[in-house]
Parts: sequence; structure tokens; C-alpha cells
Amino acid sequence: MSNKIRLISQIALLAAIYWGSNRLVIFTGIPIPGNVVGVLLLFGLLCFGVIKLEYIQDAADFLLKHLVFFFIPVAVDLMNWGPVFYKYGFELALAIVISTFLTFFLTGYATQLLQRGKNRCRN
Amino acid sequence: MPELTVVFTIVLTLGAYLLFRFLYMRYRHPLLNIVLLGAASIITVLIVCKIPYQAYVPGKNIMTSLLGPATVGLAVPLYRHRSILRGYAPAILIGVAVGVFTSMASAAIIALLAGLPKEVVLSLVPKGVTIPFAVEIARIHGGSPALASAFVIATGTLGSVFGGTLLTLTGIKDPVARGLAMGTGAHGQGTAMAFIEGQQQGSMAGLAMTLAGIMTASFAPILIPFLI
Repeated sequence: MSNKIRLISQIALLAAIYWGSNRLVIFTGIPIPGNVVGVLLLFGLLCFGVIKLEYIQDAADFLLKHLVFFFIPVAVDLMNWGPVFYKYGFELALAIVISTFLTFFLTGYATQLLQRGKNRCRN
Repeated sequence: MPELTVVFTIVLTLGAYLLFRFLYMRYRHPLLNIVLLGAASIITVLIVCKIPYQAYVPGKNIMTSLLGPATVGLAVPLYRHRSILRGYAPAILIGVAVGVFTSMASAAIIALLAGLPKEVVLSLVPKGVTIPFAVEIARIHGGSPALASAFVIATGTLGSVFGGTLLTLTGIKDPVARGLAMGTGAHGQGTAMAFIEGQQQGSMAGLAMTLAGIMTASFAPILIPFLI
């Protein structure tokens, strides 16, 4: 039972950070999602030792393990978007395939170049 | 009985999640996508039972209420891997920045040249990042969250099926480079494949996934008005 209470209070702490981040976004009007600000805020709080890993890690691990669950209801909305895929399917596939392959190649290439430079300095 | 419909849609969604999670865990094939197969089977049931999408929304709102707090939890793996983050800072930051810029700019340019409507183009821009970030980035800039989630899954499936082969064919062998490419190019689905390659590739991909989300969200307000 105490495990459950701990999990729920840890989820409440994560929810409070998320809520605070959304308030911050609304207050400042910055065009960045509240959940992105929330990740940066929690990372900062952990680095400065304001929040200890033990305060939130059970809830974070539990929720992240099942993160995919939350995406399913979001994707059900696709039933309203059938005509877009019917009409632009080929163009969409083209954009996604070319862009994804380019991203893989350029990220890998740039990093490998930097890694080689680093290894050369070391040798 | 609207309450009954809410309970039904929640039980249906939980059931679909548990079923496809079981199948994925058992076979570990990237085409057994839990989100895509789960949503497709729910949509099928809704259509067959003649339940309109509007009746699914109350249950959806209850189910996604913990998505925000869960996403904030991504700071935990980032913090746990902070020594790797520090050790490989230039490679990680420059590699992910190159990837994020490539992903956003190339998707937008191809989609605009192909003559896709603005709302669709804006939903395509964050296609490389994990769903909770992508749907919010799309929403803020005038795209559709649902379309964004579909493009994210398409990108992730493509990247996790062909990404490793593409990197090998193009001579990218360094494990740090491979992990960063998989996490930046194909978010969580790429990260799952990177962990199959090795622990180092997987940790790198996980870091890259979260950083790519943060960077895409930060670049979008500058890059989107410039491109579109």
C-alpha cells in the first residue's frame, strides 16, 4: 500500500511541474510547448539538487514504460483525416522517406566526423 | 448512456494497448507498431459499432490526462545519463542539431514543392520527434496533432526498419554516430532498435530523442516562418 501512495505522490509532483511549466508558457507567451519547458525545468531542478531522483524516479519510470499507451487515443483522431491520406498519400510518403533518410545520414555523418577528429587528437 | 460509452472506450483502448504490447514484446518486430495497430483496431470497432469520434473524446481526455506529467519524466533518463551527455557534448549537440535542422527543413521543402496544404506541411515539420512533443509543436504552429502523430509513427517505422541498413551502407560504423542518428531520425522507435544493436547505441539514441524534441521545439518558431 505504501508503494502505491509513494507512486501517486510522485505522479502528483510530476503533474505539478507540468502544470507550473504550462503556467510559465502562458505567462511569458513563448511559442514552446509546456511539456518541453517541463523537461528542462525538471532536469534543472535535478542538476541543482532541488529535487532528488528518489522523489520522482518510480513515477517517471512507470509512466515512461507505458508512454506508448497515451499515444493510442491521440492517434484515434486519424479517423477524421482519411481524405488527406487518400488525396496526398504519394506526396506525403515521398516527403517522409527522403527527409528521414537524409536525417539519418547527415546526423550519423556529422557525428562520425566529430568522433574521428576527437580520436585523432587523443592518439 | 454517455457514461457507459466513456467506460467502453477506455476499456477498449486499454485492451488494444495490452494486446499489441503483448504481441510486440513477443516478436519485437518494428512493423508491430503498438500505436498504429491499437488506433486502427479502435477505429474499426468505433465504425462497426457506429460510435462517432465525438463520443470517444471524453474518454480520450481522461486517458491522456497523464501524458503531460509522463513526458516531463523524460528528464529522468536525461539526468541519469548526464555523464555521457558531458563526455560527448560536442558530438551529441552538433549531431542532433544537424539532424533536427535536416529533418524539419527537408520535410517542409519537399511538402511545399509537392503542393501540400499548409496545415499538412506544418504537421509534417516535427515528424522526427517523439509524439508528445510533436503534437504540441504542430498545434502551436497551426498544424494538426493527429496528423503529426501519424507522420511521427510513419517516420519511426521507416527509420526502425531501414535506418540501420542505411547507416551501414553509407559507411557510418561509429556506435555513437549510429545511436544519435537513430534517436534523432526515428525517436522512440529508433531508440528501441538502437538498444537491440547495443547498450551504447541505445543510451545515445535515448538522449538524442529527448534533445531532438527540445531542439525542434526551440528551432520551430524561427525556422517555420522562414520556410512557410
